[in-house]
Parts: sequence; structure tokens; C-alpha cells
Amino acid sequence: MTDPTAEFFEELGTRGSEPLLRRSTGTVRFDLSNGKRTERWLVAIRKGDLAVSRRNVRADCVVSADKALFDDIVTGKTHAVAAALRDELNLEGDVRLVVALQRLFPGPARSRRRRRATTSTRGKK
Amino acid sequence: MSDGLVQILDGNTFVVSNTNGDIEASLTDPTGLFSFDTRFLSTWVLTLNGERLNPLSVDDLQYFETRFFLVPGTGTVYIDAKLSVIRRRAVGDGFHEELTILNHHDAHVDLVVRIDAGCDFADLFEVKDALAKKGKYYARVESGRLRLGYQRERFTRETLISASAPARVDKGGLTFKTRIEPHGSWTTDLDVVTASGAGGTYVRPKYARGTRRARPSMELSLEKWVADAPRLECDHDELRATYRRSLVDLAALRFSPPIAGGRSLPAAGLPWFMTMFGRDSIFTSLQALPFTPELAATTLQALGDWQGSRVDDFRDEDPGRILHEMRYGEMTAFEERPHSPYYGCADATPLYVVLLDEYERWTGDRRLVRELEPQARAALAWIDEYADLMGTGYVWYQRRNEKTGLENQCWKDSWDSISYRDGTLPGFPRATCELQGYAYDAKVRGARLARLVWKDPDLADKLEKDAADLKRRFNRDFWVSDGEYFALALDTEGKQVDALASNNGHLLWSGIVDKAKAKAVSEHLMGPRLYSGWGVRTLAEGEGRYNPIGYHVGTVWPFDNSFIAWGLRRYGFKEEAAQVASGILDAAEFFAGRLPEAFGGYGRSVTKYPVQYPTACSPQAWSTGTPLLLLRTMLGLEPAGEHLVVDPALPMGIGHLELLDIPGRWGRIDAFGRGRVLTDTKAKSVRRRRSSGGGRSTREVRR
Repeated sequence: MTDPTAEFFEELGTRGSEPLLRRSTGTVRFDLSNGKRTERWLVAIRKGDLAVSRRNVRADCVVSADKALFDDIVTGKTHAVAAALRDELNLEGDVRLVVALQRLFPGPARSRRRRRATTSTRGKK
Repeated sequence: MSDGLVQILDGNTFVVSNTNGDIEASLTDPTGLFSFDTRFLSTWVLTLNGERLNPLSVDDLQYFETRFFLVPGTGTVYIDAKLSVIRRRAVGDGFHEELTILNHHDAHVDLVVRIDAGCDFADLFEVKDALAKKGKYYARVESGRLRLGYQRERFTRETLISASAPARVDKGGLTFKTRIEPHGSWTTDLDVVTASGAGGTYVRPKYARGTRRARPSMELSLEKWVADAPRLECDHDELRATYRRSLVDLAALRFSPPIAGGRSLPAAGLPWFMTMFGRDSIFTSLQALPFTPELAATTLQALGDWQGSRVDDFRDEDPGRILHEMRYGEMTAFEERPHSPYYGCADATPLYVVLLDEYERWTGDRRLVRELEPQARAALAWIDEYADLMGTGYVWYQRRNEKTGLENQCWKDSWDSISYRDGTLPGFPRATCELQGYAYDAKVRGARLARLVWKDPDLADKLEKDAADLKRRFNRDFWVSDGEYFALALDTEGKQVDALASNNGHLLWSGIVDKAKAKAVSEHLMGPRLYSGWGVRTLAEGEGRYNPIGYHVGTVWPFDNSFIAWGLRRYGFKEEAAQVASGILDAAEFFAGRLPEAFGGYGRSVTKYPVQYPTACSPQAWSTGTPLLLLRTMLGLEPAGEHLVVDPALPMGIGHLELLDIPGRWGRIDAFGRGRVLTDTKAKSVRRRRSSGGGRSTREVRR
């Protein structure tokens, strides 16, 4: 069975440095629960340099969510900010770190970059 | 402010009430306690022995604090009132109300004091559009306090109400029974606190009981804010008042996004637009740069933090794009609106680079420019890679969110703002002219930063080459030769959308206009079709869609005019810039120094006073910033290296004018000017301030 969340964090750990996070320094812990157990991912950011581990330690920001929801977030099916506003994603601590990290989540698969627009005719009066 | 309503606010929390302090909202009535785009209190009605109260007077103590003086009775007759009531209310994480009842009679009175409380937890969008709720309400009485709540799935919003005096609490409010002795008084404190999320943590309102003697922190920060800004000395009382009003309103419009670490940026407007807007926050920061440069720093950081990183059609997001608007309410949460955040505007991204460069020119803060290098590069890349929808080398816009996205993604965002002379509307995408100007300016300024700060001469060369090419093509493709002005836009066939509009002034500001064409453009701006005597109309008289009270098709926008004045100065039209400043500042006097978002395009000789365009939002940030930018243009303030050049051209009637302690990379500098005649520039002088002589310290802000 595939585990999108694990794939996301493992890939993140191989990036080394991420330019989008160059202004961020701090640790974010993700506590993801499937109802029975909670799996934890710790992302340490130092001016864009990234280290990912499974350590359960204190972090500058803690994100708690259902594992299934997080699977949807890292595959672009759910928007992280909207989910946080719905109280499905609980944030504690330095929220700026999560604002920075959420930029790494993919967009919806349906959205396609528009190259050329469809030519619309001259409009109505 | 809306008629008959009282507003106080703290960040994006605000209270709108009737003049007696009561709140009686319906889904469509915009009164209540609002926070993070949600209404947390929609009923708050005070009665004494079942009787409503009437206002004697309302003191707007501060923008976050109001005092209502009330008497019992109905109608307008309150003969021999034996009781009077004072409600003193301060907002901040909810609100705090100090309720005092005075008995003026020789005998005691027995009173039943009742506060009816209730909440509809409406989203601001619902208040504006009158939509129905999808979740469930609840009300609980808990150890002397009332908890009102709303839940939809996990989305939970709650209001907690408590009092200092013993009260009987029920699900509809609080009741106090009291006897007040002859000439005595009774008082209670009421706390209304908001919370988000199930089991959300509650904080006491900022100015809650027990801290009565302490001055609210916002008042202190207001005093400091005004004291930190440059001081204006002049013979012209009204201008001084307008300047003071602008500073105070700008303080009220400061908004601390949850991610800005306590620092603030200008929100768009009060009360409905107390949130981050890309365009409005950038324009206002530009206007205020010579006065309060820290607003620009926060704007750049916060907008940079939220810069688009992926393609998302619902939010019209692209990598590198700067957001249009951020919202926190229920409809945004459930994706019934795209504002989490929404990216559908085409100007904020190039303007982001413009602000970054202008900020460096004033403050010399290269650390921030280095820090935001990736953001600025991504913004510059967006212009070429994502904004050129037609592949013609211009910035175009067309929404991908067809349902709830914005059709017009330029500052004139109403449906009919972009038209041909005959009033016909073009199809989409559209390439409006001012977007090309902003893109040109972004490339020129980006090149300067690349060379100077990022040490990337190759990028600088490329940007300069692209900018020169854009300017050449623009002056060929957009120039309406039989009218001698720039077309409002190009349509999809590359044809000119040929109405004459105020956008020409923004082109001067951006510097994209060929010198040889500038004179004709300035003559149009100051000519009878565009210039009303108060200001430059959004659309010229005689165009098919011209309407003196049409939102973007004939009204005069103070903000628009402040950038037009800047543009006129840029091309050396000092007299014309002074004329624009003079007209707008004259208009400000009719609004007690608080310029509205827009006023009618009627000729000044016809109406004698500026006719305000009806709008619910005041003050508006970029109208508030307008007098500041006009002061800059009148004094001709322009950073040049480590110095500030002052080259005044003051309108007649302003007399002597001094702007003292202008902050920047030079430390603090004073500027002087005299407006004996319209173009008098002889009185110019710059004086470097000596070290602290008069109690105010001189701060050197050198790197």
C-alpha cells in the first residue's frame, strides 16, 4: 500500500536545501493520527536547509491532523490553508513556519497551467 | 463611517453598533462584533426595566474605544431623566464594556438591567451577500457565563460572555437586579471574548477589568506612531489637520496578519477590508514610504511569505504570483470562496518588485532586499512565464476560476471599467495599459537591484534589455495616434481598446512613456475631458461609458490622482502635479481631512463641492495614504544615493510648508517649501538636522 505522506517527507529529506524556505528557521512536528496510533515527522529548517526525521521532540510548531487528511494534502487533493481554517488541521506555535512549508504542497492535479487563452470574441454592449 | 453607525476596531476585530451601543444585526445588517471575517455577536441590546435607551452623545475616544451617554425613554423626549447610563467599550480580542448607571434622583431606584445577547456567526461574505448557514448553533450557560457557539463539521467558532457583577445568565443573555441609592451609581464590566476551534483557548479582552487605570496599549502605540512620523509645519490649518487625520487613520488600518510576528501592514479599508490585499497594501506602503517605511517592510515580508508556489485554478494561483486577498471566514474555509488566499490580480506581482526597489532607495535596507531575492526573482519570472497569456510579450489577465474569481484583475475591477470609445467591452484575456507600465518599471528596478544587491549583472542586463524592448513595443502598439494618448488596453486581436482613461497617469509614473509623447499625455490628464477641477476622472467625459458617478467610469479616485501627480513630476510637469495635489487636498477639506475612496466626476464649477461616492468602507487605505504621497510630490522628495533631494513646487495658497524629520538612509532630514506662486521653486532648501536640540532625538539610520 502506498503511503503518500511518507513519500512526501522522504523526498523532502533528500532535497537538502529548498529556496522557498530560505527565510525560515525552526522545527515543525507533524502529529498524524489514524485513530489508533500517531505517527510523527519532524522537519528541521535552517535558512532553507532541510532535515527530516521521525524524532518525537519538542518543536517550534506542531501540526496535528488525521493521517488520511494529510495524505490528501500532500497529493494536492486538499488545500492545507482551507483545512486549517476548517479546524481540521490544528496548529500550535510559530505559524509562520507552516505558512512557509505549505508552499511545498502540490496544487490540484486538475489545475493546468494555461499557455494560450481561448480567444473570446469582442464582448457585448 | 456609515451613517448612524459607530465603529471601533483593533486589527481585524471590530464592532459596528447603533448610536446607543446596541447591536441588532440581521443577515443583511452589517452591525456586530467581527473578528477574522466572522461575526461573533449579532445581538447585544441593553434595557433598564424593559425599556430601551436613547443616546445623548457618543464620544469616539480612540479608534478602538467609544463612550455612549444614554438615557432611558422612547423617541426623542427625555424630560427629567432620573437615570443616565454610560457604556464605555474598547475592542481587542473581542470587546470589553464598562456599564455604569447613575441615579440622579433623591430616592433609590430598583432596576432590572438586561443584556440580550445572541450570535449568527455569519461570514463577512454572507453579510454582504445574504446567504444561509449550513452548520448548527448552540448556547450553554456555564458557571456564570454564557457560551454561544456554531459548528459545521469540525469548524467551530464560539463567543464567551461574562460579567463582573452577579448576574442571572440564560441562553439569551444576562440579567442583573440591583438597587441604586439616591445619587449613587452601579457598575459592571462585561467581557465578550471570541474563540476559534473546538476547545479553543480563550484570552481576556485587551482592556479588561482590573486594568482600568492602565492606558490601552494601542493608545500608546498610536501616540508613538504619530510622534515617529515626520512633523508637518505649515500656515495651512486644513492641510495640517488632513495630515494628522491620515496618520491616525493609517494607524487604525494597520493590520497584523497572524504570520507577521506582531508587525503590521496596511489593510485595505475599514471595516470590511481589514485583511491583507496585495494591491492595496503595496500602493499604500508606497504612498507612506517617506513617512512610515516599516509598513513597506512588513508588506514585502508578509506578501513574500504567501507568494504563489503552484498552479491552482480555483485560487488563480501561479508560482511567483503575489496574492490578491486573504480571508479567514467559513466560506473561505469550505472553499465556497477562493480567498485562502486568492491570487487573481495582475498588478500586485510587478508592483511587489517596484515596492522592494523603492523601499531600498529610501531606507538603504539591503538586508531585506537580499533576503527577498528569491521572491523578487519569482515575481519577475511570473511576468514573463505566466502573465503573457497571448504570447505577445505583454501582461494579460483572464480568470481561471470562472465561478467566484475576479473578472477584471486590475485596480479598476468593476465589470464595465475597460471599454472601447463606443462603450463596447472587450473579451478576455485583456492587457490593460497600466499593467505594462508596472511590468516595465519592475524590470528596470529589478535590474537595479540585481546589479547593486544581488550581484547578478547578467540578470540586470537581460531585464534592462527586456524593459527597453517592452517600452518600444508599448509606445507603438498602445499609442492612439489620432487622439495622442495611450489606449486603455489591447484586446485579443491586438486591437486598441481606445477609451481615454486616467490609466495614462500611471504610465507616466512607471516611466514607460516616450519623452516625446509625455506632453500630449499630460495635456489630456489636465484637459477638460479628464480633469474635473478636483481631480483626474477615471474615464474621460465623452466616452461611451462615461458616468460621473460610475465606479471606475467617471468618478475621481484620490489614490489614482496621487500616483498621477507622482507621474507628472517624474516627467517634469511640476505645475500640473501641484494642480492635481491642490485639487485633491481642497476636496479633503470637505471630508474633514478623510478622503473617501472616490467622489463624483462632476466639474468643480458645477457642484462647488466634491460629491462623495456612496461606499461602506471608510477610511480606505490608499485614500488615507493619498495626502502623504501628495506631500512627497509637492515637495519633490526623491532619494538620490545617500541623500534626499528636495525640489518643491507647491500650490498657491499653501504658503510656507516644512516637513521635519523625514526618515531614510540619511537619518532624518527636514524639507522646506513655499507656495507663493504655483510653480515657485525658489524657496527650496534642505537642511540637515543637527544632533538632538529640541527634545526630539535625531536618529541616524545608517547601515
